[in-house]
Amino acid sequence: MTSHIYRGCEFPADRYYDVERDVWVLRDEDGFVTMGMTDPAQAQCGKFVHIRFKATGRILQRGQSAATIESAKWVGPFPTPLSGEIIATNEAAYRQNILLANKDPYGAGWLVRLKPAHFEEEWPLLLSSDLAFDRYREKIVERDMRCYRCAD
Amino acid sequence: MSFRVIDGGMVSWLDSQAIYHAVASAMNGASEPTVTLVHPSKPYICIGYHQELEKEVDVAYCYENGLPITRRQVGGGAVYLDENQLFWHLIIPRSQAPYRIEDIYTRYLAGPVNALRRMGIPAVHRPVNDIQVEGRKIGGTGAATIGDAVVIVGSLIFDFNYELMARVLKVPSEKFRDKVYHSMREYLTTITRELGSRAPTWEQGKHILIEEIAKSLSRDVYLDRLNEREQAEMGIWRETLASNEWLSQAGGLRHKGLKIAEGVHVREAAHKAPGGLIRATIVAKEQTLDDLTLSGDFFIFPDNSLPGLETALTGSSLTEQELHERSLKYWQDQNIQSPGLAPADVALVVMQAAGEQAT
Repeated sequence: MTSHIYRGCEFPADRYYDVERDVWVLRDEDGFVTMGMTDPAQAQCGKFVHIRFKATGRILQRGQSAATIESAKWVGPFPTPLSGEIIATNEAAYRQNILLANKDPYGAGWLVRLKPAHFEEEWPLLLSSDLAFDRYREKIVERDMRCYRCAD
Repeated sequence: MSFRVIDGGMVSWLDSQAIYHAVASAMNGASEPTVTLVHPSKPYICIGYHQELEKEVDVAYCYENGLPITRRQVGGGAVYLDENQLFWHLIIPRSQAPYRIEDIYTRYLAGPVNALRRMGIPAVHRPVNDIQVEGRKIGGTGAATIGDAVVIVGSLIFDFNYELMARVLKVPSEKFRDKVYHSMREYLTTITRELGSRAPTWEQGKHILIEEIAKSLSRDVYLDRLNEREQAEMGIWRETLASNEWLSQAGGLRHKGLKIAEGVHVREAAHKAPGGLIRATIVAKEQTLDDLTLSGDFFIFPDNSLPGLETALTGSSLTEQELHERSLKYWQDQNIQSPGLAPADVALVVMQAAGEQAT
Protein backbone atom coordinates (compact mmCIF):
# COMPACT_ATOMS: atom_id res chain seq x y z
CA MET A 1 0.00 0.00 0.00
CA THR A 2 1.65 3.27 -1.06
CA SER A 3 1.04 6.34 1.01
CA HIS A 4 1.56 10.05 1.15
CA ILE A 5 3.41 10.99 4.32
CA TYR A 6 3.95 14.42 5.82
CA ARG A 7 5.20 15.24 9.32
CA GLY A 8 4.58 11.67 10.37
CA CYS A 9 0.99 11.74 9.08
CA GLU A 10 0.20 8.95 6.65
CA PHE A 11 -2.48 8.95 3.93
CA PRO A 12 -2.72 5.66 2.03
CA ALA A 13 -3.18 6.08 -1.69
CA ASP A 14 -6.00 3.55 -1.97
CA ARG A 15 -8.45 5.51 0.23
CA TYR A 16 -10.84 8.37 -0.22
CA TYR A 17 -11.09 11.05 2.43
CA ASP A 18 -13.46 13.44 4.11
CA VAL A 19 -10.87 15.98 5.21
CA GLU A 20 -13.32 18.12 7.20
CA ARG A 21 -14.48 15.12 9.23
CA ASP A 22 -11.04 13.44 9.33
CA VAL A 23 -12.41 10.13 8.05
CA TRP A 24 -10.99 7.71 5.47
CA VAL A 25 -13.24 5.51 3.34
CA LEU A 26 -12.38 2.38 1.36
CA ARG A 27 -14.84 0.91 -1.10
CA ASP A 28 -14.81 -2.84 -0.82
CA GLU A 29 -15.44 -5.33 -3.62
CA ASP A 30 -18.85 -6.16 -2.24
CA GLY A 31 -19.97 -2.54 -2.70
CA PHE A 32 -19.93 -1.78 0.98
CA VAL A 33 -17.47 0.70 2.49
CA THR A 34 -15.06 0.47 5.39
CA MET A 35 -14.30 3.63 7.35
CA GLY A 36 -11.90 4.80 10.01
CA MET A 37 -10.07 7.77 11.51
CA THR A 38 -7.21 9.40 9.69
CA ASP A 39 -3.76 9.66 11.19
CA PRO A 40 -4.22 13.35 12.21
CA ALA A 41 -7.53 12.45 13.83
CA GLN A 42 -6.07 9.71 16.01
CA ALA A 43 -3.10 11.90 16.91
CA GLN A 44 -5.39 14.77 17.82
CA CYS A 45 -7.64 12.52 19.86
CA GLY A 46 -4.86 10.96 21.86
CA LYS A 47 -4.87 7.50 23.34
CA PHE A 48 -8.32 5.97 23.28
CA VAL A 49 -9.73 4.92 26.62
CA HIS A 50 -13.13 3.85 25.32
CA ILE A 51 -15.25 3.62 22.22
CA ARG A 52 -18.94 2.93 21.91
CA PHE A 53 -20.35 1.95 18.53
CA LYS A 54 -23.83 2.50 17.20
CA ALA A 55 -25.54 -0.83 16.65
CA THR A 56 -25.38 -2.73 13.39
CA GLY A 57 -28.53 -2.16 11.42
CA ARG A 58 -28.65 1.48 12.47
CA ILE A 59 -29.37 3.88 9.60
CA LEU A 60 -27.24 7.01 9.60
CA GLN A 61 -27.38 10.21 7.60
CA ARG A 62 -24.20 11.79 6.31
CA GLY A 63 -22.48 13.54 9.22
CA GLN A 64 -24.14 11.55 11.96
CA SER A 65 -22.04 9.79 14.53
CA ALA A 66 -21.31 6.11 14.02
CA ALA A 67 -19.37 5.81 17.27
CA THR A 68 -18.39 7.91 20.25
CA ILE A 69 -14.78 7.97 21.29
CA GLU A 70 -13.30 8.91 24.63
CA SER A 71 -9.63 9.66 25.09
CA ALA A 72 -8.02 10.67 28.33
CA LYS A 73 -9.34 14.21 28.15
CA TRP A 74 -11.99 14.39 25.41
CA VAL A 75 -15.18 12.83 24.14
CA GLY A 76 -16.25 13.17 20.54
CA PRO A 77 -18.05 11.54 17.64
CA PHE A 78 -16.83 9.49 14.70
CA PRO A 79 -19.02 10.96 11.96
CA THR A 80 -19.85 9.05 8.80
CA PRO A 81 -19.29 10.98 5.56
CA LEU A 82 -21.79 8.72 3.79
CA SER A 83 -25.40 7.91 4.57
CA GLY A 84 -26.22 4.27 5.01
CA GLU A 85 -26.74 1.28 7.23
CA ILE A 86 -24.10 0.05 9.63
CA ILE A 87 -23.44 -3.54 8.65
CA ALA A 88 -20.46 -4.20 10.89
CA THR A 89 -18.34 -2.56 13.57
CA ASN A 90 -14.88 -3.39 14.86
CA GLU A 91 -16.12 -3.54 18.42
CA ALA A 92 -14.76 -7.00 19.20
CA ALA A 93 -11.23 -6.04 18.20
CA TYR A 94 -11.37 -2.80 20.20
CA ARG A 95 -12.46 -4.76 23.25
CA GLN A 96 -9.22 -6.68 22.97
CA ASN A 97 -7.09 -3.64 22.21
CA ILE A 98 -8.49 -0.18 22.73
CA LEU A 99 -5.45 1.42 21.08
CA LEU A 100 -6.02 -0.01 17.60
CA ALA A 101 -6.72 3.35 15.98
CA ASN A 102 -3.65 4.83 17.71
CA LYS A 103 -1.46 2.00 16.40
CA ASP A 104 -2.88 1.18 12.98
CA PRO A 105 -5.63 3.63 11.99
CA TYR A 106 -5.82 2.41 8.39
CA GLY A 107 -5.60 -1.34 9.01
CA ALA A 108 -6.61 -3.11 12.19
CA GLY A 109 -8.02 0.17 13.56
CA TRP A 110 -10.92 0.40 11.10
CA LEU A 111 -14.12 1.41 12.83
CA VAL A 112 -17.30 0.81 10.86
CA ARG A 113 -18.54 -0.87 7.68
CA LEU A 114 -21.47 0.70 5.95
CA LYS A 115 -23.96 -0.15 3.18
CA PRO A 116 -24.18 3.23 1.43
CA ALA A 117 -27.68 4.56 0.80
CA HIS A 118 -26.84 7.43 -1.59
CA PHE A 119 -23.54 6.33 -3.05
CA GLU A 120 -23.82 8.08 -6.43
CA GLU A 121 -24.57 11.46 -4.82
CA GLU A 122 -22.26 11.29 -1.83
CA TRP A 123 -19.15 9.47 -3.05
CA PRO A 124 -18.10 12.45 -5.27
CA LEU A 125 -18.02 14.59 -2.12
CA LEU A 126 -14.99 12.62 -0.93
CA LEU A 127 -11.47 13.43 -2.07
CA SER A 128 -8.97 11.09 -3.65
CA SER A 129 -5.77 10.60 -1.71
CA ASP A 130 -3.84 13.02 -3.94
CA LEU A 131 -6.33 15.83 -3.49
CA ALA A 132 -6.84 15.03 0.18
CA PHE A 133 -3.11 15.06 0.78
CA ASP A 134 -2.82 18.59 -0.61
CA ARG A 135 -5.56 19.77 1.73
CA TYR A 136 -4.08 17.90 4.67
CA ARG A 137 -0.64 19.36 4.13
CA GLU A 138 -2.11 22.84 4.51
CA LYS A 139 -4.06 21.78 7.56
CA ILE A 140 -1.01 20.19 9.17
CA VAL A 141 1.10 23.31 8.66
CA GLU A 142 -1.69 25.63 9.80
CA ARG A 143 -2.18 23.62 12.96
CA ASP A 144 1.51 22.94 13.48
CA MET A 145 0.74 19.27 13.74
CA ARG A 146 2.71 16.08 13.79
CA CYS A 147 1.35 12.56 13.91
CA TYR A 148 2.50 9.88 16.30
CA ARG A 149 1.38 6.30 16.68
CA CYS A 150 1.31 4.17 19.81
CA ALA A 151 4.05 1.57 19.83
CA ASP A 152 3.31 -2.05 20.69
CA MET B 1 -14.95 39.18 17.31
CA SER B 2 -16.69 39.04 20.65
CA PHE B 3 -17.77 36.43 23.13
CA ARG B 4 -21.28 35.93 24.43
CA VAL B 5 -21.85 35.51 28.15
CA ILE B 6 -25.05 33.82 29.20
CA ASP B 7 -25.36 34.29 32.95
CA GLY B 8 -28.14 31.87 33.82
CA GLY B 9 -27.79 32.39 37.56
CA MET B 10 -29.33 29.71 39.76
CA VAL B 11 -31.10 27.11 37.64
CA SER B 12 -32.55 23.67 38.16
CA TRP B 13 -30.02 20.85 38.41
CA LEU B 14 -31.22 19.60 35.04
CA ASP B 15 -30.77 22.96 33.35
CA SER B 16 -27.28 23.32 34.78
CA GLN B 17 -26.30 20.45 32.47
CA ALA B 18 -28.76 21.04 29.65
CA ILE B 19 -27.61 24.58 28.98
CA TYR B 20 -24.21 23.85 27.50
CA HIS B 21 -25.43 20.78 25.63
CA ALA B 22 -28.13 23.01 24.10
CA VAL B 23 -25.87 25.93 23.18
CA ALA B 24 -23.36 23.52 21.62
CA SER B 25 -26.04 21.68 19.65
CA ALA B 26 -27.36 24.96 18.27
CA MET B 27 -23.93 26.18 17.16
CA ASN B 28 -22.56 26.31 13.62
CA GLY B 29 -19.29 27.50 12.11
CA ALA B 30 -20.39 31.13 12.03
CA SER B 31 -21.68 31.24 15.60
CA GLU B 32 -20.08 33.37 18.24
CA PRO B 33 -18.14 31.67 21.03
CA THR B 34 -20.18 31.58 24.20
CA VAL B 35 -19.64 31.09 27.89
CA THR B 36 -22.53 29.99 30.07
CA LEU B 37 -22.47 30.51 33.83
CA VAL B 38 -24.92 28.70 36.09
CA HIS B 39 -25.19 27.02 39.44
CA PRO B 40 -27.73 24.38 40.41
CA SER B 41 -30.46 24.99 42.94
CA LYS B 42 -29.89 21.59 44.48
CA PRO B 43 -27.13 18.96 44.61
CA TYR B 44 -26.94 16.15 42.10
CA ILE B 45 -24.58 13.54 40.72
CA CYS B 46 -23.27 13.62 37.18
CA ILE B 47 -21.52 10.67 35.54
CA GLY B 48 -19.20 10.72 32.57
CA TYR B 49 -20.47 9.84 29.14
CA HIS B 50 -19.07 6.33 28.97
CA GLN B 51 -19.51 5.30 32.57
CA GLU B 52 -21.94 2.62 33.67
CA LEU B 53 -24.24 4.07 36.28
CA GLU B 54 -24.63 1.06 38.57
CA LYS B 55 -20.89 0.43 38.64
CA GLU B 56 -19.91 3.96 39.57
CA VAL B 57 -22.63 5.36 41.81
CA ASP B 58 -24.54 4.04 44.82
CA VAL B 59 -27.83 4.61 43.05
CA ALA B 60 -30.01 3.43 45.93
CA TYR B 61 -28.34 5.85 48.34
CA CYS B 62 -28.76 8.74 45.92
CA TYR B 63 -32.45 8.13 45.39
CA GLU B 64 -33.14 7.54 49.08
CA ASN B 65 -31.49 10.87 49.83
CA GLY B 66 -33.10 12.88 47.06
CA LEU B 67 -29.99 13.21 44.90
CA PRO B 68 -30.84 13.24 41.19
CA ILE B 69 -28.38 11.60 38.81
CA THR B 70 -27.67 12.41 35.19
CA ARG B 71 -25.09 11.64 32.53
CA ARG B 72 -23.18 14.32 30.62
CA GLN B 73 -21.84 14.15 27.09
CA VAL B 74 -18.37 14.86 28.39
CA GLY B 75 -15.98 12.17 29.58
CA GLY B 76 -14.36 11.60 32.93
CA GLY B 77 -15.77 10.31 36.16
CA ALA B 78 -18.72 10.70 38.50
CA VAL B 79 -18.87 14.07 40.23
CA TYR B 80 -20.93 15.61 42.97
CA LEU B 81 -22.26 19.03 41.99
CA ASP B 82 -24.09 21.56 44.14
CA GLU B 83 -24.96 25.20 44.65
CA ASN B 84 -21.49 26.01 46.03
CA GLN B 85 -19.94 25.56 42.59
CA LEU B 86 -20.19 28.13 39.80
CA PHE B 87 -20.22 26.14 36.58
CA TRP B 88 -18.57 27.71 33.56
CA HIS B 89 -18.94 26.23 30.11
CA LEU B 90 -16.93 27.56 27.17
CA ILE B 91 -18.59 26.66 23.89
CA ILE B 92 -16.65 27.37 20.72
CA PRO B 93 -17.49 26.56 17.08
CA ARG B 94 -15.20 23.69 16.18
CA SER B 95 -13.81 25.59 13.22
CA GLN B 96 -12.69 28.42 15.54
CA ALA B 97 -11.06 26.22 18.20
CA PRO B 98 -7.51 24.86 18.17
CA TYR B 99 -7.21 21.44 16.59
CA ARG B 100 -5.20 19.66 19.27
CA ILE B 101 -6.86 18.78 22.57
CA GLU B 102 -3.86 20.00 24.54
CA ASP B 103 -4.02 23.38 22.81
CA ILE B 104 -7.76 23.63 23.51
CA TYR B 105 -7.12 23.24 27.22
CA THR B 106 -4.14 25.59 27.21
CA ARG B 107 -6.08 28.34 25.49
CA TYR B 108 -9.38 28.06 27.31
CA LEU B 109 -8.21 27.27 30.83
CA ALA B 110 -6.12 30.44 30.95
CA GLY B 111 -9.17 32.53 31.89
CA PRO B 112 -10.30 30.41 34.86
CA VAL B 113 -6.70 29.99 36.05
CA ASN B 114 -6.08 33.74 35.91
CA ALA B 115 -9.37 34.38 37.70
CA LEU B 116 -8.24 32.26 40.62
CA ARG B 117 -4.86 33.98 40.64
CA ARG B 118 -6.55 37.36 40.72
CA MET B 119 -8.51 36.23 43.76
CA GLY B 120 -5.18 35.54 45.46
CA ILE B 121 -4.90 31.78 44.79
CA PRO B 122 -1.63 30.74 43.07
CA ALA B 123 -3.40 28.46 40.62
CA VAL B 124 -1.69 26.82 37.65
CA HIS B 125 -2.88 24.78 34.72
CA ARG B 126 -1.47 21.32 35.16
CA PRO B 127 -1.67 19.55 31.81
CA VAL B 128 -3.63 18.03 30.47
CA ASN B 129 -6.68 19.47 32.15
CA ASP B 130 -6.31 20.03 35.90
CA ILE B 131 -6.22 23.37 37.67
CA GLN B 132 -4.06 23.05 40.75
CA VAL B 133 -2.80 25.03 43.71
CA GLU B 134 0.50 23.80 45.10
CA GLY B 135 -0.31 20.20 44.19
CA ARG B 136 -3.98 20.34 45.18
CA LYS B 137 -6.72 20.23 42.58
CA ILE B 138 -9.03 23.24 42.64
CA GLY B 139 -10.82 22.62 39.38
CA GLY B 140 -11.57 19.61 37.27
CA THR B 141 -12.34 20.24 33.65
CA GLY B 142 -13.43 18.27 30.63
CA ALA B 143 -13.85 18.72 26.91
CA ALA B 144 -16.02 17.24 24.24
CA THR B 145 -17.18 17.77 20.70
CA ILE B 146 -20.96 18.21 20.71
CA GLY B 147 -22.46 18.89 17.31
CA ASP B 148 -20.31 21.47 15.56
CA ALA B 149 -18.90 22.86 18.81
CA VAL B 150 -16.08 22.19 21.18
CA VAL B 151 -17.17 22.39 24.79
CA ILE B 152 -14.83 22.93 27.74
CA VAL B 153 -16.48 22.65 31.15
CA GLY B 154 -15.33 23.40 34.67
CA SER B 155 -16.34 25.15 37.85
CA LEU B 156 -15.24 27.67 40.44
CA ILE B 157 -15.53 25.60 43.59
CA PHE B 158 -16.36 27.90 46.46
CA ASP B 159 -17.05 25.01 48.82
CA PHE B 160 -17.31 21.22 48.58
CA ASN B 161 -19.07 18.42 50.41
CA TYR B 162 -16.27 15.84 50.55
CA GLU B 163 -18.22 13.45 52.74
CA LEU B 164 -21.17 13.29 50.40
CA MET B 165 -18.95 12.93 47.35
CA ALA B 166 -17.23 9.93 48.95
CA ARG B 167 -20.55 8.49 50.05
CA VAL B 168 -22.28 8.48 46.67
CA LEU B 169 -19.56 6.54 44.89
CA LYS B 170 -19.72 2.79 44.38
CA VAL B 171 -16.55 1.55 46.02
CA PRO B 172 -15.14 -1.94 46.60
CA SER B 173 -14.85 -1.53 50.37
CA GLU B 174 -15.44 0.91 53.19
CA LYS B 175 -11.67 1.18 53.62
CA PHE B 176 -11.56 2.35 50.01
CA ARG B 177 -14.27 4.90 50.70
CA ASP B 178 -12.39 6.14 53.72
CA LYS B 179 -9.23 6.47 51.63
CA VAL B 180 -11.18 8.37 48.98
CA TYR B 181 -12.58 10.78 51.54
CA HIS B 182 -9.23 11.50 53.13
CA SER B 183 -7.47 11.79 49.79
CA MET B 184 -10.04 14.27 48.57
CA ARG B 185 -9.63 16.36 51.70
CA GLU B 186 -5.90 16.36 51.10
CA TYR B 187 -5.79 16.79 47.32
CA LEU B 188 -8.98 18.68 46.46
CA THR B 189 -9.25 22.24 47.64
CA THR B 190 -11.74 25.07 47.34
CA ILE B 191 -11.76 28.84 47.16
CA THR B 192 -12.98 29.05 50.76
CA ARG B 193 -10.27 26.69 52.03
CA GLU B 194 -7.58 28.67 50.26
CA LEU B 195 -8.74 32.16 51.12
CA GLY B 196 -10.93 31.94 54.19
CA SER B 197 -12.38 35.36 55.00
CA ARG B 198 -10.56 36.84 51.99
CA ALA B 199 -12.64 34.75 49.60
CA PRO B 200 -14.59 36.87 47.11
CA THR B 201 -18.35 36.87 47.16
CA TRP B 202 -20.16 34.83 44.58
CA GLU B 203 -20.87 37.87 42.40
CA GLN B 204 -17.30 39.13 42.71
CA GLY B 205 -15.96 35.72 41.72
CA LYS B 206 -18.26 35.59 38.71
CA HIS B 207 -17.21 39.01 37.46
CA ILE B 208 -13.55 38.24 37.91
CA LEU B 209 -14.04 35.06 35.90
CA ILE B 210 -15.82 36.84 33.05
CA GLU B 211 -13.15 39.56 32.90
CA GLU B 212 -10.28 37.08 32.90
CA ILE B 213 -11.87 34.93 30.20
CA ALA B 214 -12.27 38.03 28.03
CA LYS B 215 -8.69 39.12 28.71
CA SER B 216 -7.21 35.69 28.00
CA LEU B 217 -9.00 35.49 24.66
CA SER B 218 -8.46 39.15 23.78
CA ARG B 219 -12.13 39.52 23.03
CA ASP B 220 -14.90 41.77 24.17
CA VAL B 221 -17.70 40.04 25.96
CA TYR B 222 -21.35 40.97 26.12
CA LEU B 223 -24.25 39.66 28.10
CA ASP B 224 -26.82 37.77 26.13
CA ARG B 225 -29.72 35.34 26.51
CA LEU B 226 -30.45 32.00 24.94
CA ASN B 227 -31.76 32.52 21.42
CA GLU B 228 -34.74 30.74 19.93
CA ARG B 229 -32.76 27.83 18.54
CA GLU B 230 -30.94 27.34 21.84
CA GLN B 231 -34.24 27.42 23.72
CA ALA B 232 -35.54 24.69 21.45
CA GLU B 233 -32.42 22.61 22.08
CA MET B 234 -32.90 23.14 25.82
CA GLY B 235 -36.24 21.40 25.54
CA ILE B 236 -34.69 18.46 23.71
CA TRP B 237 -31.75 18.14 26.10
CA ARG B 238 -33.91 18.46 29.22
CA GLU B 239 -35.84 15.47 27.99
CA THR B 240 -32.72 13.53 27.05
CA LEU B 241 -30.78 14.18 30.24
CA ALA B 242 -33.76 13.26 32.41
CA SER B 243 -34.54 10.04 30.57
CA ASN B 244 -33.89 6.62 32.04
CA GLU B 245 -32.71 5.42 28.66
CA TRP B 246 -29.93 8.02 28.55
CA LEU B 247 -28.93 7.46 32.14
CA SER B 248 -28.94 3.68 31.94
CA GLN B 249 -27.21 3.26 28.62
CA ALA B 250 -24.33 0.86 28.63
CA GLY B 251 -21.09 2.71 29.09
CA GLY B 252 -18.46 0.05 29.24
CA LEU B 253 -15.68 2.31 30.46
CA ARG B 254 -14.49 1.20 33.81
CA HIS B 255 -11.60 2.79 35.60
CA LYS B 256 -10.47 0.52 38.37
CA GLY B 257 -9.62 2.79 41.20
CA LEU B 258 -10.53 6.44 41.48
CA LYS B 259 -8.72 9.52 40.27
CA ILE B 260 -8.65 12.24 42.89
CA ALA B 261 -6.50 14.70 40.96
CA GLU B 262 -3.96 14.55 38.15
CA GLY B 263 -1.41 12.00 39.32
CA VAL B 264 -3.30 10.99 42.46
CA HIS B 265 -5.36 7.81 42.50
CA VAL B 266 -7.01 5.58 45.06
CA ARG B 267 -6.78 1.93 44.10
CA GLU B 268 -7.30 -1.44 45.66
CA ALA B 269 -6.23 -5.01 45.00
CA ALA B 270 -6.40 -8.32 46.79
CA HIS B 271 -3.97 -11.21 46.65
CA LYS B 272 -4.50 -14.77 47.82
CA ALA B 273 -1.35 -15.69 49.70
CA PRO B 274 -0.96 -19.20 51.16
CA GLY B 275 -1.72 -17.72 54.59
CA GLY B 276 -4.88 -15.91 53.53
CA LEU B 277 -6.23 -13.01 51.54
CA ILE B 278 -4.37 -9.71 51.81
CA ARG B 279 -5.96 -6.50 50.54
CA ALA B 280 -4.12 -3.26 49.86
CA THR B 281 -5.97 0.03 49.56
CA ILE B 282 -3.54 2.64 48.37
CA VAL B 283 -3.22 6.27 47.45
CA ALA B 284 -0.73 6.47 44.60
CA LYS B 285 0.77 9.87 43.98
CA GLU B 286 2.57 9.71 40.65
CA GLN B 287 4.98 6.79 41.20
CA THR B 288 5.01 6.99 45.00
CA LEU B 289 2.95 5.18 47.60
CA ASP B 290 1.34 8.10 49.39
CA ASP B 291 -0.89 6.15 51.77
CA LEU B 292 -1.64 2.50 52.47
CA THR B 293 -4.13 0.38 54.38
CA LEU B 294 -3.64 -3.35 54.62
CA SER B 295 -6.28 -5.82 55.67
CA GLY B 296 -7.22 -9.42 55.21
CA ASP B 297 -7.78 -12.75 56.86
CA PHE B 298 -4.15 -13.70 57.46
CA PHE B 299 -2.40 -14.09 60.83
CA ILE B 300 0.42 -11.79 61.81
CA PHE B 301 2.32 -11.54 65.11
CA PRO B 302 2.61 -9.22 66.94
CA ASP B 303 -1.10 -8.54 66.42
CA ASN B 304 -0.63 -4.78 66.06
CA SER B 305 2.03 -4.99 63.34
CA LEU B 306 -0.02 -3.70 60.41
CA PRO B 307 -0.05 0.04 61.17
CA GLY B 308 3.72 0.00 61.52
CA LEU B 309 4.10 -1.92 58.26
CA GLU B 310 1.83 0.58 56.50
CA THR B 311 3.95 3.44 57.82
CA ALA B 312 7.16 1.64 56.81
CA LEU B 313 5.95 1.34 53.23
CA THR B 314 4.42 4.80 52.89
CA GLY B 315 6.68 6.99 50.78
CA SER B 316 8.13 4.04 48.89
CA SER B 317 8.44 4.22 45.14
CA LEU B 318 5.89 2.01 43.46
CA THR B 319 8.44 -0.57 42.42
CA GLU B 320 8.43 -4.16 43.56
CA GLN B 321 12.08 -3.93 44.58
CA GLU B 322 11.74 -1.06 47.04
CA LEU B 323 8.43 -2.30 48.40
CA HIS B 324 9.93 -5.71 49.01
CA GLU B 325 13.07 -4.27 50.62
CA ARG B 326 11.07 -2.10 53.00
CA SER B 327 8.71 -4.98 53.87
CA LEU B 328 11.61 -7.35 54.50
CA LYS B 329 13.38 -4.81 56.73
CA TYR B 330 10.18 -4.33 58.73
CA TRP B 331 9.74 -8.13 59.07
CA GLN B 332 13.31 -8.43 60.36
CA ASP B 333 13.32 -5.34 62.63
CA GLN B 334 10.00 -6.26 64.26
CA ASN B 335 10.61 -10.01 64.31
CA ILE B 336 7.31 -10.57 62.48
CA GLN B 337 5.80 -14.01 62.27
CA SER B 338 3.13 -14.50 59.63
CA PRO B 339 2.38 -18.06 58.52
CA GLY B 340 1.91 -18.17 54.76
CA LEU B 341 2.38 -14.43 54.32
CA ALA B 342 5.77 -13.11 53.23
CA PRO B 343 7.14 -9.62 52.52
CA ALA B 344 6.98 -10.54 48.84
CA ASP B 345 3.19 -10.96 49.15
CA VAL B 346 2.85 -7.47 50.56
CA ALA B 347 4.98 -6.01 47.76
CA LEU B 348 2.95 -7.95 45.20
CA VAL B 349 -0.47 -6.78 46.37
CA VAL B 350 0.63 -3.14 46.53
CA MET B 351 2.01 -3.42 43.01
CA GLN B 352 -1.22 -5.04 41.85
CA ALA B 353 -3.17 -2.13 43.27
CA ALA B 354 -0.78 0.36 41.71
CA GLY B 355 -0.80 -1.35 38.36
CA GLU B 356 -4.57 -1.09 37.73
CA GLN B 357 -5.45 0.57 34.45
CA ALA B 358 -8.72 1.79 32.93
CA THR B 359 -10.61 -0.89 31.04
